[in-house]
Formats: sequence, C-alpha cells, structure tokens
Amino acid sequence: MEKLSKQKIQKGLEVLKRDVGSKLLTNVNACVHCGLCAESCVYYRLKPDEHFVPAKKVDIVSSVYRRYHTLGGKLTPWLTKARKLDDATIEDMVDLLYGSCTMCGRCNKHCSVGVDIEYLVRTGRAMLAEMGYVPETLQKTVDTALSTGNNMGIPTDEFVDTLKWLEEDLQFEVNDDTAIIPLDEKGKDIMYTLNPREPKFFPLSISAMAKVFYAAGESWTLSTKMYDVTNYAYFSGNLEEGRVIAKRMEDEMKRLECKRCVLAECGHGSRAFRWEAPNYLEKEMPFEVDTSVELLAEYIREGKIKVDPQKNQELVTLHDPCNLTRGGGVYEEQRYILKNCVANFAEMDPTGTDNLCCGGGGGQLSMSEYNERRMGIGKLKADQIRSTGAAVVATPCHNCVDQLLQINAANKLNVKIKTLAEIVADAIVLDNEEQPKEN
Amino acid sequence: MDWYLWMAIIGLGVCLLSCVYHFYRIISLGNPPEYARRSGHIGKAVRYSFTGAMSPKVKESAYLHMPTYMAGIIYHIGTFLAIFIFLLSLFGIWLSGMVMYIAAGILALSALSGFGILIKRIGKNELRSLSNPDDYISNILVNLFQLFTALAMIDESFIPAYFIISAILLLYFPLGKLKHAVYFFAARYHLGYFYGWRDVWPPKPIKK
Repeated sequence: MEKLSKQKIQKGLEVLKRDVGSKLLTNVNACVHCGLCAESCVYYRLKPDEHFVPAKKVDIVSSVYRRYHTLGGKLTPWLTKARKLDDATIEDMVDLLYGSCTMCGRCNKHCSVGVDIEYLVRTGRAMLAEMGYVPETLQKTVDTALSTGNNMGIPTDEFVDTLKWLEEDLQFEVNDDTAIIPLDEKGKDIMYTLNPREPKFFPLSISAMAKVFYAAGESWTLSTKMYDVTNYAYFSGNLEEGRVIAKRMEDEMKRLECKRCVLAECGHGSRAFRWEAPNYLEKEMPFEVDTSVELLAEYIREGKIKVDPQKNQELVTLHDPCNLTRGGGVYEEQRYILKNCVANFAEMDPTGTDNLCCGGGGGQLSMSEYNERRMGIGKLKADQIRSTGAAVVATPCHNCVDQLLQINAANKLNVKIKTLAEIVADAIVLDNEEQPKEN
Repeated sequence: MDWYLWMAIIGLGVCLLSCVYHFYRIISLGNPPEYARRSGHIGKAVRYSFTGAMSPKVKESAYLHMPTYMAGIIYHIGTFLAIFIFLLSLFGIWLSGMVMYIAAGILALSALSGFGILIKRIGKNELRSLSNPDDYISNILVNLFQLFTALAMIDESFIPAYFIISAILLLYFPLGKLKHAVYFFAARYHLGYFYGWRDVWPPKPIKK
C-alpha cells in the first residue's frame, strides 16, 4: 500500500468536512455498538466473525470523524477509540469498506437504532477514493468506462455489428423484415440503455427487450455513443468520476432529444442514474427516468403487449437486486410481471426488501482479490434458490445474473438464470402469431 | 439546599444544554439534498420508521435476539422512569406507598437487565472488539442511576449518593454514546426520509 502523505490525509478528511450535514452528523453519532446488526450481513452469516459485524464499518468511519471533529475525540481519543487516519486505519478501511461489504443496505433496515450503515460505507469509500486507495481492479473498471464510454471497453463498431446481427435475429424471431433495433435516432419517446455485459456476453437479453419494444409498437432508440447504464464510480466512491459518467448520459439524452430514459435491468446502474446522478449533478433530470422493470409492468398493465403465462411452464423464483428493491423501491413490479408471464412462481425466503444479496454488489464482481469471499456468500443464495425448488431464477440485474451464473456452476444448482425481459419475451403473444386452437 | 442537589441541578443543566445544542445542530443543517424526482411519501415513511419499522416482527436485531431485545426494552423503560423520578425529586417530590414499590421493582429489574447487557458486552468476543471504554462507562453509570433511584426512594440515607451519581451521569452525557438519546430520533427520521423519497417505505405487502 502506498505511504500516506499529509496531503492525502487532508484529502480524506475533507470528505467528512465537505459532506457534513444532518445525515452524516446523525449517522456518525447514533451507533450504540449493540452488535445486533450482525446477522443482517451476508458476510457475517457466512462467517460469524467480529470483523464482519456491520457496526465495525460504522465505527471505522465514525471513529475517524470523532478524532478530528469532536472535542472529546481530540482530547481523550482513548475514551471512544477515536482513530487517527493513518496507514493502519486505511488498511482496515479498505478491507472493511471495499472487501467486506456489497453495499446491499440490508443492515440499515435491521439496525436497532436505524443507522444508515450503507451511507457511512459510501462516505468511507469516498474518503478512500479521494486519497487514491480504491482497489486497482475496481478503479480499472471505472477508468475503462471513462476512457471508452462503457465499462467493458467495447469498441463502437463491434457494438454496432452485434446490434445488426441481433436485428436480423429479431426479424427472424418476429417474422417481420421491417423490425429494427434503432440506433441514434433522434426525437424518440424512449432512449434505452444497456449494461455492457449484454452486448459482450448476453446479447439475447437485448433481442428480448427489442422484441418487447416491437410488440409494444414503442418509439425507441439505443445510443451507440453512451448506452452504458452502469456507473462503477458509485461503488468506488469517486464523486467526480461518478458525475462525469452521469453527465454523459444526461448529455446523450439531450442530444437524441428523447423524452424518457429507460434504464436496463441493472440494480446499481438504475440506482446510480435514477437516484444518485441528480445528486452528483445537483439538479433534477429534465426528462423522465424509469427502470425497464417498471416499463415492462406498464406494458402488461396497459395491454400494450399480450403475454401468455402458459408459455413459461417451469417453476420460476425471483432474486431481488438490492439496489433496485431496497435502494430503489421497485419490488411490486417484478412480481406483477412474473405473475402475468409465468405459470409457476415461488418466492425466496427471505424476499423483497429483506432479500439476501447475491454477493455481486458493491463492485465485488470487479474486485477479484475478494473472489473467495464473494463466492462464499453465494452459498447462502444457492441455499435460498435450492429451497424454492425452482428451475429458473429471474433477476432484473445483469451483475446479479453474472454472480448467479457463477453460483449456479459452483454449487451445481442446475438452474437457468434469466432477466425479466427474457421471460417477458418468451411469454409474448405477437399479433401475427398463430393463436393456440381452443378445444 | 444541599450541595449534592446543586451538583445534580448543574448536571441537568449541562445535559439539557448538550441536548439542545445537538438538536439545534441537526435541525439547522436541514434535510439531506435529494435532487432526484421523489416517488414516495416522506411523512408516511417517517411515521413508519418510528412505528412499524421498529416492530420486533420485522427487525432481525429484535427477533433473532429476543432476550437481549427484551432486556434493552426493559432497560430503556427503566431509564425513562428514573429520569421522571429524578425530575420530581428536584422539586422534593418522592413516590410513596405501593407506587414507590412498583417503581423500585421496575428499576431493579431494569438495572439487572442493564448489568446483563454489560456482562454480554464483556463476555462476547465480537461485542468486546466493538466496544470502547465509553460503552462500559455509559452502561455502568445508567445502571447505577437506576439502582440508586430505587434505593433512594426506599431508604433516605441513599439520597446523597443518588444525587451524586445522577450528577456524574448527566455531566458525562455530552462526552459519549449517551448522546444517542438525541441521535436515535434523528437516525429514524433520516432512514424514513431516505426510504420515503424512493418509495421503499412504508412497505407494499408481498403476497406469497
């Protein structure tokens, strides 16, 4: 680890000064060290060790706050274990805040006091980011997004080629040569975004959504310049980089003169743009921002698409992405969609805003140095899936899809992992489709 | 007036000033900036944060730790009762008869709960690792406050010690975790505000 300089310490402490508001002040003073939050954390559930108690994450940030911002912390640091921001503290911060937390926010809900633990983790990560201590693997993902426009570094021509191939696939699927995947078209109602994992690894989820748009007769477009819904700077804690990425999306919406920005199935991406980007940019977005989950539910509710649940006969369960559900309030919609698109559905236990994180959040999928912990947590999710008896796990998040695929393989679950768009696309009844004959 | 009573009054003054200062600071800093378009109802979510969200049925910190949770509830009931009795005592009013014995019983039980929590803090590795001297001092002072409130009600000879302990507790208030008496309410408010903005709270029921 790089040696600390006075300037670096100052930069880290500036975050506590910059962000000081009622919320920070409250959360650094509210924890009573009862330790009852322990079981709410997937890391602790897997390995009941003092290191993984969420209150430890609270304490490392608030102890630094106490040391520099309270009289007691300055005069009698021993009384409250107020810590100096030194090499040892930073080493602990990196492991606790990056390596032992998926920022799933489950602990917030179960804290006996109501401390926003996830918020303090983000504050701590922001301090580390200012000082240059973001794990290289995570920073690399942010850097790729900054330098290429998407976090996978997909060149535009490769992206366009993929979409052209998918367009042909769509035409074949819907039996209509006029079906298209519109690119960079101005003045459409919707600008749809993607998780770069889709063009790179899961192109069928793009064709699934394109089929839904086709069936709904939607006026939509994709941008070839800025389509990446993710914002890994939200995980790294670098406010400035988060702002740059958010601004690009806003600018692209303006350039293409679209009315509504629809965010692909990506938990953190939807949170980062819908809820955090306005805070990064310190203004309300001048257009509507919705998640594709809400859009799919809207299409079904308003009869814009016809779906037949009998087309999906296998037992389906649902993994709620933390940032979409606990952090974004979207949890009825995915259930409404599944109720209408699958014949058999089983909830996990716990579920909804109580659901366990799959382990892929908080940037963990990027930080290979913590792979063992991440896959360990995955065992909890594997147990949850197994106990439902489901053959298909639906999840509206591509990061979760990636983690669930790895969990599936590592734990020999033999289940299929699907996005909601894929399930809806499978259930769609097109107008030109032959209706099943009634007996 | 006896010197120890003066001590207690000074302690109360310091404690109240500290509470007012912290409340003023929190309120004057205002709500955290949220620029995203709101999709929920803040008022309903904050109300839920103080009511339904505190239910032991929905909090793992409660239903997975029932003995500790119950001890904590009794401990806090005892603390509020002891504060009430302390305020009366400053005006020379003391409980008597059956009411006094019931109050003393509750206080004895709550002090016992407090000592139980202390023993757990000392005995459990992960709690010990999480704790700092302030956690022990705060707990012991509150336990003693409750215990001596009960004793002073029953036996007058404990009154000087009672006021001295009360004064120490009140003077200590601004230094450590006892401040959560203020920040608890702020934390519940902020959590309600955050979840309310995003329409996470109040929860929408999920049919299984």
